[in-house]
Amino acid sequence: MRISTSAFNAAAISDMEQAQTTLSKTQNQLATGKRVNSPADDPVAAVKIQEYERAKQESTQFGQNADAARNRLSLEAQALTDATNVMQQIRELTVSAANSATLTDVDRQSIAAQVDGLRQSMLDIANRKDSNGEYLFAGFSSQTQPFARNSSGSVQYAGDQGVRQLQISSSQTMADSDSGFGVFMNIQNGNGIFTVQPAPGNAGDVVVGTTAVLNQAAWVPGNYILKFSTPSNYTIVDASNAVVATGTYTAGSAISFNGVQFNLNGTPVANDSFAIAPAGKQDVFSMLDALSSALSTPVTTATQRAALASTIGMTLSQVDQTIDHLTTTSASVGTRLNVLDTIDGARSDADLQRATSLSRLQDVDYATAISNMNQQLVALQAAQASYARISQLSLFDYVS
Amino acid sequence: MADILSTGLSGLLAFQRGLDTTSHNIANVSTPGYSRQTVELDTRQPEAYGNGWIGRGVDVASVRRNYNEVLALQVRNSSSAFSQLDSFAARAESISNLFSDSNTGLSATLQNFINAVQGVANAPTSLASRQVMLSQAQSLVDRLKANASQLDQMSTGINADLDNEVTAINSDAMAIASLNTQIAAGISQTGQPPNDLLDKRDTLLNDLASHVGVNVVAQTDGTVSVFIGTGEPLVLSGTAAKLTTQRDGYNSNELGIAFTNPAGNVDVSSNLTGGTIGGLLQFRSQMLDPAINQLGKIAATVAQIVNAQHQAGTALNGSPGQALFAVGGATVLPATGNAVGGSLTVTTTNATQLTGKDYVLEYTAGAWSLRQSDTGTSVALAGAGTLASPFTADGLAIVVNGTPAAGDHYLIRPTSAAVQGMSVLVTDPNAIAAASPVRAAAGLANSGGAAIASLQVTNSANPALQTATTIQFTGATTYTINGSGSYTYTPGAPIAVNGWSLTLSGTPATGDQFSVGSNANGSGDNSNALAIANALGAANGQIGALAGQVGVQTSQAQSGRDAQSAIHDESVAALDSVSGVNLDEEAASMLQYQQAYQAAAQVIRITQTMFQSLLDATRS
Repeated sequence: MRISTSAFNAAAISDMEQAQTTLSKTQNQLATGKRVNSPADDPVAAVKIQEYERAKQESTQFGQNADAARNRLSLEAQALTDATNVMQQIRELTVSAANSATLTDVDRQSIAAQVDGLRQSMLDIANRKDSNGEYLFAGFSSQTQPFARNSSGSVQYAGDQGVRQLQISSSQTMADSDSGFGVFMNIQNGNGIFTVQPAPGNAGDVVVGTTAVLNQAAWVPGNYILKFSTPSNYTIVDASNAVVATGTYTAGSAISFNGVQFNLNGTPVANDSFAIAPAGKQDVFSMLDALSSALSTPVTTATQRAALASTIGMTLSQVDQTIDHLTTTSASVGTRLNVLDTIDGARSDADLQRATSLSRLQDVDYATAISNMNQQLVALQAAQASYARISQLSLFDYVS
Repeated sequence: MADILSTGLSGLLAFQRGLDTTSHNIANVSTPGYSRQTVELDTRQPEAYGNGWIGRGVDVASVRRNYNEVLALQVRNSSSAFSQLDSFAARAESISNLFSDSNTGLSATLQNFINAVQGVANAPTSLASRQVMLSQAQSLVDRLKANASQLDQMSTGINADLDNEVTAINSDAMAIASLNTQIAAGISQTGQPPNDLLDKRDTLLNDLASHVGVNVVAQTDGTVSVFIGTGEPLVLSGTAAKLTTQRDGYNSNELGIAFTNPAGNVDVSSNLTGGTIGGLLQFRSQMLDPAINQLGKIAATVAQIVNAQHQAGTALNGSPGQALFAVGGATVLPATGNAVGGSLTVTTTNATQLTGKDYVLEYTAGAWSLRQSDTGTSVALAGAGTLASPFTADGLAIVVNGTPAAGDHYLIRPTSAAVQGMSVLVTDPNAIAAASPVRAAAGLANSGGAAIASLQVTNSANPALQTATTIQFTGATTYTINGSGSYTYTPGAPIAVNGWSLTLSGTPATGDQFSVGSNANGSGDNSNALAIANALGAANGQIGALAGQVGVQTSQAQSGRDAQSAIHDESVAALDSVSGVNLDEEAASMLQYQQAYQAAAQVIRITQTMFQSLLDATRS
């Protein structure tokens, strides 16, 4: 094919320009370390890069959310540990009040004073705030003090049952707290299944001892009354007055019906009665109030002593329930903190994966780029040198 | 003897023409569009003698232009195609830069806003985090507006480009018409083609083809007719038609191309393909307008999602959440010939159903019909078009006002102006509705295993939404509401009352109570903020889709341009190999002609010697 002089020049110049453009692009890649410097370089990759960058921001935010949840949960965990410690001390005090038959009214009042002090500590714990000044145990009403004494002296819960959820991954939310209702109010009393309480007018000195559930399936929740027809015979009737069980009473022996069992100790008087009821809910403060008031009341008669012993016994199982409840809540908080750690791990794995993909998309491979640059340099030099030589060739040089 | 002289002289003259042409070639070695010329030599009519025919020298038959019609056609066509793809790709790249930049892109800005909402969810009582959310909302609006204004500028730029293109086309057309006249005159005068004028005309035709696709038809008198679009005559012999830009039939801001005509201009925009104009029109209809609409759709969707959820919440001061974003409504453009007094009211009823398309609503034969403006696909209309029962289609509600005449039509652009009208309505950080208006509580005496799994607001406009309501179970599968009625409870299914819906987990026991009521003092509730952040994920997908679509279109345009560039270069090289001047070749023919000229001169000198010899012989 013949080639025209201008086409030869144009082609040579265009080729050299092309080589310079490529070289400059490679140089730009080497200087910035990026393969895609403008979206036009690779529009499809640029879109993916944009998505990765967005996901990176999102992941950072999830990390911050997880940190916020961790802060609140750690504070809650600490509060629960402190509350459990307080309950342990209460338990020791209750046990000491129950065990020693030699305690005087004054001794008991001093224990009551200690209980009052611990009750105040409990109230302080329940009213703790987080770093934002929000109450930890107030539910959604986080700027309202959740626990306060009302005019009649009992502690009321002013919060609600709301639990704040934080987004810790694209598909997972986590409660960053528990409401005060759940932690301090909604505690099963008795042994968690049923309670046995002496009737207020009992004349004997029967004390309610240990209670147990033998066969929970056989337990029919309902209100029952155990009544001593004589000091050695009892009848248990249900709410509709139908007889459920009868038996002969021996002090200290176990009485069982409907799959549950309890011990009565002491000498009853005919018509003494005991109420057996399904375990309800009790809050920690009213329990402590009851304990304190029972301990502060002077005891003179055997009947009063028996009532006190029953109350202390009941409170003890209540304290155990509370400790159980606090420990369970604490475990749930611990589990959530563990999940946060797992999620953190998963997130950093994903971050690393994303960073790798991002780098593969947009970062320059230096080895390839430098090798490309060398090739392009050689090509450009060759193009320049050859053009300079060839363009000098002209037949006119030989025409004289 | 006289024969030798005249034969030599004919050689001298012919080689002189040869040298003339060679030097013309050399002089025009760099002239664009110049075709190499060669002298066609021809022997003179020989003279008959008894002993045979004696040659009488040489004549210049013609000066030939080295040219190939087919190759020239290829160059014109590839130039048209290349210009179209090049103008498309260049503009596509700038759109792509706008949408795909990872630092300033929409995705990043929306994500910042979502993050700020999450920040409020983390600390709903913190005024600082609420202020950040408002700032990020403003940034999002600013970013959308910046993008929209760049797209608008691009649209305005295309109008200016079209004006320039039309000017260039008109000037080329006039020049071609004028050359047509000169060429026809030149041919009829000498019977020989005026090569340099033909080159000039070809150059102009190539230039014209780079502006708009042309169909060139050669006529027998040496003139060419030039047609554009679907056969509209731009140049016929010595006369050129005139193009102009004018607004389209809906008087929108977009210019179209029309043939000027005393009887009224004829819009040919939709017929034009190829060349820069083709690229501009194609870019505008296939990329720019859809991008503007999509951007508007994103704005409308974000606003609707955020507003709906925000209005379902409660602000820090206990008042119901207000709309967070304002957004521009649909644009309605009546056709210029519509009956007086008619108009449309178009409102967006559901932004998530918007398609990002433009529509034409037309009244024919006593009924209205709706179609997509780009594809013409008809869209089903529900309703009667009245205020009480508006037409509904694709998330729009259309009310027709006034009495229409047959043929009335309107262009509806649902989202083209959405971004312009966008703003942040909430200025007080306390007014951010991070909390739910209701909260649920389980009864203290509950003995069953049921717990509150979730409480959601399904209708924030329900007047009884915050009314205290108690659900009491009268069995594991039945419940009363506020002590009355008996409703069946399906485990796991939500209980919906008063615009909220409560989901329980576990099995309730007889007598268990759950109450729902006002979330007063619920400043620590973040559930609505969380819902806003989650709902926005859908909008993020739309942004990704838009950026992806723009990216793919750009990528296609780039590879199309690169391929066409190679094809164009090849066809130019092919024509050039026929028409281009090679200096070495010219040097060789110069030498050849020079030597021949010298030889012919020698012939004349020898004639003189012969003549002298004859004189000398007869003198003494």
